[in-house]
Amino acid sequence: MINRFSCAALVVLSLTGCASDPAPTEQLRLSEQALAQAKAVGADEQVAELAMAEAKLLQAQAAMQRDAFKDARVLAEQAELDARLAEARVLTQKSQDQLDELNNRINRLRKQLGTL
Amino acid sequence: MSARVQMLASALLALLLSGCAGSQQQSSNEALEAARSSFQAVRENSDVLRSAPKDVIRAGESLARADRLSSYWGSTDDVSHYAYLSLRYSEIAEQNSVLSLNQDRAAKLELDRQRLQLALREAKLLSVQEQSNWLEEQILSLTAGETERGLVMTLGDVLFDAGQAELKASANRTVLKLVQFLQLNPRRVVRIEGYSDSRGDKLENLKLSRARAQTVADVLVDLGVDTARIEVQGHGESFPVAENASARGRAQNRRVEIVFSDELGRLSSAR
Repeated sequence: MINRFSCAALVVLSLTGCASDPAPTEQLRLSEQALAQAKAVGADEQVAELAMAEAKLLQAQAAMQRDAFKDARVLAEQAELDARLAEARVLTQKSQDQLDELNNRINRLRKQLGTL
Repeated sequence: MSARVQMLASALLALLLSGCAGSQQQSSNEALEAARSSFQAVRENSDVLRSAPKDVIRAGESLARADRLSSYWGSTDDVSHYAYLSLRYSEIAEQNSVLSLNQDRAAKLELDRQRLQLALREAKLLSVQEQSNWLEEQILSLTAGETERGLVMTLGDVLFDAGQAELKASANRTVLKLVQFLQLNPRRVVRIEGYSDSRGDKLENLKLSRARAQTVADVLVDLGVDTARIEVQGHGESFPVAENASARGRAQNRRVEIVFSDELGRLSSAR
C-alpha cells in the first residue's frame, strides 16, 4: 500500500516537476538587455549566435506565457550567452578589420618611403 | 486489482524516467565533453585568463554543475544546459581575449603608422630641399657667377632664330629649369635683358633685343611665373661682351641675360 502511494507520488512529482520554479523575470530582462547590446554594436542576422539568441528569447517569452518557468529560464539563459557571444564576435571582427586597415596604411607608407 | 494498478504505475514511472534516455544520455555526454575540452583550452591560455578572468570562472562553475548533475538520474537536460552555458562562457572568454590582443596590437601599429607618416613627411620635405639645392646648383652653373649685378644667366644666340625673336625648342630645358627655380624660390625676382650686336640699324637692334627679352618673359609667364616678378629691358648694341669684328664675337653679343635678385627679392639696379 505504502509502495503504491509512493509510486503515485513519484509520478505526480515527475509530471509537475518544474512548476515549482519561480518566474525567471530577471533573467529575461538580462537576456533582452544582452540582445539589445549585441545589436547596438552592429550584430545582425548574419551572426549565427544572434539569430539563435533571438529565436530562444522568443521561445522563452512564449514559455513564460504558459507558465513553463523552467523552460523559460533555460532558454533565456542560453539566449543571453548566445547574444553575448554574438557581441564579442562582432567586436573582435571589427578590431580585426581595424588591424587590417592599419597594416594597409603602414604598407602604403613604407612603399612611399621606399620610392623617395 | 491493486496489484494491477501498482504494476501499471511502475510501468508508467519507468517509461517516464527512461524515456528516450539512451540518445539523450549520449548527447548530454557529448555536450559535457565539448564543454570540458573548451574550458581546458581557455584555462591553459594565459592571454584569456588575463583578459577575461570572469568568463573563465563562470565557464568552470557551469562545467562543475553539469559534471555534478551528470551523476544524477534523469537530469540529462540540465547537464546539456549547463554544458552549453559553460561552452558559451569559454567561447566568449576566448573572443574577448582575441579582442584585447587585437586592441593592444592596434595601439602599437597606430604608433608605427604615426612614426612612418612623420618620417615620410620629413623625407618629402628633404627631397624638396634637395631638389631646390640641386636646381640652384644647376642655375648657378648656367650663370656667369656672382657679379656686381648679382647672379646673371646668359641665354645665347643659338637659342633664337637669326633675326627673329622666337625661342627655339632647344631653349625649353633651360627655361623649364628657370621656372622651377623661381617656383622653389618664391621671393626671388628677375630682370630679363636683351642685347644685340652692332650690325645693322641701331633702333632695329634695340627693338629686336627687347623683343627677345620679352619672348623669354612671356614663356616664363605662360609657365606660371607671376608677371610682377619679371622686369624686361632691351639694351640693343650697348654693353657688348665681345668685339663685334668677328662672327664669333658678334654671336656672343647677341644674347639675353637673366639677372636674379637675391633671396629677399632685392634686384641690382638696372643699367
